Amino acid sequence: MAQLQIQNLHVEFGGLRAVDNLDLTVEEGEILCLLGPNGAGKSTTLDLICGKTQPTGGSIRFQGTELSGLLEYERARCGIGRKFQVPSVYKELTVAENLSVAQSRHPGMWRALFTFGRGDTATQRRVLERVGLAEKAGVKAGNLSHGETQWLEIAMLLTQDSQLILMDEPTAGMTIQETEKTADLFRQLRGSHTLIIVEHDMSFVRRVADRIVVMNRGAKLAEGSVEEIENNAAVKTAYLGH
Amino acid sequence: MTRKLSYDLLAYAAFAAVIFWLVPTLYAYDGFELNTFARYLSLAIVAMALALSWGTAGLLNLGQAATFGIGSYAMAMHLKLRASDGLPDFMGWNNVDTLPWLWVPFESLTFTLLAGLLLPAAVGGIIAIFMFRARIAGVFVAVITLAFLVAFQLLVIEQQGLTGGQNGLTGLAPLNLFGWSVDTYSVGFYYLVAACLMAALTIGIYVSHSKFGLILRAIREDAERTRFFGYNVSSFETMVFCISAALAGWAGMLYTLVLEFASPTYMSVSFSLAIVIWVAVGGRESVIAAAIGAIIVNALEGRLSDVFVEGWNLMLGVTFVLVVIFMPRGLFGLVTYLAGAGSRLRQSRQDSPKTSAPIGSAPHAQGGR
Repeated sequence: MAQLQIQNLHVEFGGLRAVDNLDLTVEEGEILCLLGPNGAGKSTTLDLICGKTQPTGGSIRFQGTELSGLLEYERARCGIGRKFQVPSVYKELTVAENLSVAQSRHPGMWRALFTFGRGDTATQRRVLERVGLAEKAGVKAGNLSHGETQWLEIAMLLTQDSQLILMDEPTAGMTIQETEKTADLFRQLRGSHTLIIVEHDMSFVRRVADRIVVMNRGAKLAEGSVEEIENNAAVKTAYLGH
Repeated sequence: MTRKLSYDLLAYAAFAAVIFWLVPTLYAYDGFELNTFARYLSLAIVAMALALSWGTAGLLNLGQAATFGIGSYAMAMHLKLRASDGLPDFMGWNNVDTLPWLWVPFESLTFTLLAGLLLPAAVGGIIAIFMFRARIAGVFVAVITLAFLVAFQLLVIEQQGLTGGQNGLTGLAPLNLFGWSVDTYSVGFYYLVAACLMAALTIGIYVSHSKFGLILRAIREDAERTRFFGYNVSSFETMVFCISAALAGWAGMLYTLVLEFASPTYMSVSFSLAIVIWVAVGGRESVIAAAIGAIIVNALEGRLSDVFVEGWNLMLGVTFVLVVIFMPRGLFGLVTYLAGAGSRLRQSRQDSPKTSAPIGSAPHAQGGR
């Protein structure tokens, strides 16, 4: 059975159907890229999966569990992680402390109350080395550059180690080299983690995507491999408006 | 482990030396003078309790005086029963002829000590559950807790037969602690209060350096983001409210011992706001700084309010405004800023023969905003 099954999902914001009867299936370990013009409902779809937005109707099943009705933290505990479009790290905390927060295998309150100190620093150091922030462990996250902030949030998601990771424009604001590094990193995650990535940068998508789903006006327009999508007439029409 | 923790432990040791050794020496072990200082120390506990919820989690509890008052009344009820034969005197004046059920268990000291901690925690917890489940945050927490405080004080004043109304509970017996009849004007009592403050600070430092404290700081910055890591934000917020309320109740019990009466003014809005001022002056990010802030402001008040009877409240208000504008992080912020500036200066002196500036090793100490 597929890891994530979305059926007939829809959400309305004041009469506007941001997501309209969406069906989506994601297999374990694959990298799925969500494409589409602005306002197609890509970010809203991620919001619906992680619980930031509650759907008007339809079903989202993750590993057999129905997610609709669960709160954000309960979904996170099911194994869903989210990276936001605007990098959201804790600016007043140091880089290491940010990772400590992300280390949330045991997110219970009592457990936290009886845990003293920084947590598993070895894992934190390993993750920081992987994203190239090892030197900055003691720096306040607010003092990082934009690209470094992106890396920090990616590092936090690696630390959180969710089975399903939702990435909203992970390469925005990155240099070409940084984007390549991100692509390499994501390819390493393939197999062990499932990724759903919203991204505009086609060269990045070509590098990482196993499968592409194109959305338009809240619904699925096309689905397939990179070549299939690039030669799809309906997709060209949606993007170019002919 | 971290530099921050070692700084905190250093400050903790220095603070312990001051209140255990320096202060008694300065006052020449005079019980009467030390009683005044014991009052400041008990108020320091309620200040550090507020710093825990306000400084760490960003939840400004303007109803801190209510939980402080519950603690102080719990202790006063026990001592009042010890002082009276059967029914406390004020009940007779109010035509109450049997001991109300609420008073009965306060015959027991063990119950009183537990109730002085757990009742405030329960009250704080109930308010917190309602607020934080509904995801109320920011200034609305302050508004709701303030409204609760006003209602609670009215309730206490209204229930004359139960609480002594405006007069509060006076004519209390001395506390008998395991056969030691506590003399409020003794050096021993001063050390009891000082030890309680150090114990409360130990709890405060533990909490702020635990994973729990880290998550609270994360919640202060971005509660929404924290939920997506699987943390149940409202349970963390509720817990810190309970801990803070229990510490406030503890402070209230000691305060009753120091002053030998309990009064509804302990639950007044002006007292609750005064706690906020003490914490703001000291610095809300550190429990020790908040305690020091409470001691400094109250010591000043002790000296100045005799001279400027009418003007003191105005001076306190102006101090608060000045602190908020020029020193938003309090004395703590000032000290860390100066320490940071000092280490930067030293670093630039060391580096002056070389041409390169140390970019990678930028100082960690945070400057003022």
